[in-house]
Amino acid sequence: MEPLQLDIMEISGAILLIATFGVIARRGFMDWLNAYRLQSIVLAGVTAVIGYVTGIWEIYVAAVLTLLIKSIAIPKVLTYVTRQLEMESKTETNPYLSLRASIIVSALLVALAYFFSQQLPFKSDPVVDIYLPVSMAQFFLGLLALVNRRTALSQVVGLLVIENGLFLFTLALTHGVSLIIEVGIFADILVGIVISSILLFRMSRTFDSLDVGNLENLRDD
Amino acid sequence: MPDIAILLLLLTPLVGGVLVTILGKKNYAEIITISSASLVLIQVIFILSKVIHDKTITAFGNMFYIDSLGAVILLPISIVGFVAVLYSKNYMGHQYDMGMVDDKHIVRYYQGINAFLLSMIVVPITNNLGIMWVTVEATTLVSVLLIMLYFKENAIEAAWKYLIIATVGLSFALVGTVFFYYANINSGTSEDAMDWTGMVHNSKLFNPALVMIAFVFILVGYGTKAGLAPMHTWLPDAHSEAPTPVSALLSGVLLNCALYGIIRFRIVTIGAIGTAFSNELLIILAVVSIGIGAASIYFQKDMKRMLAYSSVEHMGLVSLGIGFGGLVGVYGAILQIINHAIAKPLMFFASGNVSQKYETKVMSKVKGVIKVMPMTGTLFLIGGFALVGMPPFNIFLSEFLVLSSGFQSGQFLAVSVVIVFLVVTFAAFLRHLIKMIFGTPAAEVKKDEMGKLAVIPLAILGSLVIVLGFYIPSQLQELIHNASVIINGGGFA
Repeated sequence: MEPLQLDIMEISGAILLIATFGVIARRGFMDWLNAYRLQSIVLAGVTAVIGYVTGIWEIYVAAVLTLLIKSIAIPKVLTYVTRQLEMESKTETNPYLSLRASIIVSALLVALAYFFSQQLPFKSDPVVDIYLPVSMAQFFLGLLALVNRRTALSQVVGLLVIENGLFLFTLALTHGVSLIIEVGIFADILVGIVISSILLFRMSRTFDSLDVGNLENLRDD
Repeated sequence: MPDIAILLLLLTPLVGGVLVTILGKKNYAEIITISSASLVLIQVIFILSKVIHDKTITAFGNMFYIDSLGAVILLPISIVGFVAVLYSKNYMGHQYDMGMVDDKHIVRYYQGINAFLLSMIVVPITNNLGIMWVTVEATTLVSVLLIMLYFKENAIEAAWKYLIIATVGLSFALVGTVFFYYANINSGTSEDAMDWTGMVHNSKLFNPALVMIAFVFILVGYGTKAGLAPMHTWLPDAHSEAPTPVSALLSGVLLNCALYGIIRFRIVTIGAIGTAFSNELLIILAVVSIGIGAASIYFQKDMKRMLAYSSVEHMGLVSLGIGFGGLVGVYGAILQIINHAIAKPLMFFASGNVSQKYETKVMSKVKGVIKVMPMTGTLFLIGGFALVGMPPFNIFLSEFLVLSSGFQSGQFLAVSVVIVFLVVTFAAFLRHLIKMIFGTPAAEVKKDEMGKLAVIPLAILGSLVIVLGFYIPSQLQELIHNASVIINGGGFA
């Protein structure tokens, strides 16, 4: 593999990680959305690069789908949703861990991702070596965003980051599963986002806020 | 020929959903969905008779693959689907009359039911494990839509928790699936590496360490969706807040679909690393699930939540049977899947009648069901006896098989702990049930059934509960037996 290709892969991996930190380190929903959009554009580029390196045409289709759905359609839907919602629910003012602490935890999680990917019994190849730890880090950071935040919007973003991590993971490890499955996964994400948007509307109308702390009626006591 | 049969099976609910959308009237939606569900049932019986005869059916190349294991999952889906749609006419009609839902909601409901049936049917008949994942995720999305039919606070909460927890859980299952796929690519397979048949064939060549990690991911992922403790937290909320016919589908058959995912991957796993690893994990999760089910039933106040926790317990019993292994344990587990799929919807339907009559789900406010609604009350009691495993009803037999296989395989500790939990469940569940069924009803409750179609579905399921307690048709026995052989890694060339 040529040094230029390696460089491109390493830089793109780094951008992906930085964009993921953007979701962790900011309070505003629009900031997360921008970070997610950036991440998805880079992810589409990475997909195309992997397609070029491996020479499988189906991966190009996945790259185009990533660009269309994740960096255009989903941010559009979510921007529309936030415009319709109350202003105060758009920022995360009170996460369980403070921003500073969550950045430290995230750094540890990234280190953990690199550690894990060395432990796993995979054949070494540059695509796997570079992107696998990045994808795992995305997965972990997405989970962190999901459990650490109180607003329902940020849980959606957490899910999206997890999903990007999974996508990269699948791509790096297997050079893409067959196209029909990819399309199915994309359809699932898109429908999932639409459903969660509807739920967000109802939640804000019913509870006057998007704090998931309100969702505590159902319990056994 | 199989191509056409599968195509028709999938087209039936699809066309049903489209027709409901186009015609968009309550009456049409009911008739169309009842016909699509009954057509599905007829076709499934036809396909099953082919499976009994030919052992396996493949269609569209290798895309669809039905063996006895798929068949025993498919059968409950079609039966409960049909009965639930039949029950819906009266139940949703009553909600409509009460002003809980309007025409738009009813149409949306029947669209959802058709889509739900379609997505569940694909799970046990596809050979491609990637497509299986996609459709299991699709079942989550469709059922979330069905739960949010009501605009109540609780429904929103339940739908949100279900959506987030199930989606995150299933993302673990996707990681596990990709691991297996990767192992299969590296074993030099020539066909689509996502195909289950190819995966089982190559499983001996898989890297053992990789398979272990992969199976853990699968177990956590599909286990979340199957409601195995400690990943079950969304289940009581979702199952209790959904419209009752949907609760019956969720509890009775959707959980089986997720469990089916675990079982398929377990077969690959035992091909690669033997039975010890997966069995141990399954037994641990099973015991925890049964324990949590027992404790939660003991302290329960809400009727539908109690039934939901009982589902956690029964999914635990199924995993227990598979974990104990051996032909007897696995046979018991599959029988348990079928028995639970019949008894649980019966209980949900009965509780639906009760909650519509008494306008509450709180058990302490319900008294004297058998005086108010004699048919519903009797069937409620029969279903309850079956659920706690009292002889001569159907679940007694499967639980007995599962527990005795535990003794055979020398798992004395697990079996004795489980027996203690089952005794607690038995006492607690029956105490709650008997308090509701007997006693003097409040004077303002009008004494009549909720309607013909509120009783007929219960009667169908009730008679199945009784009949399957002492007689299992030989065709069904053969299917279950063949499926047990497949789960134990045999019967596959």
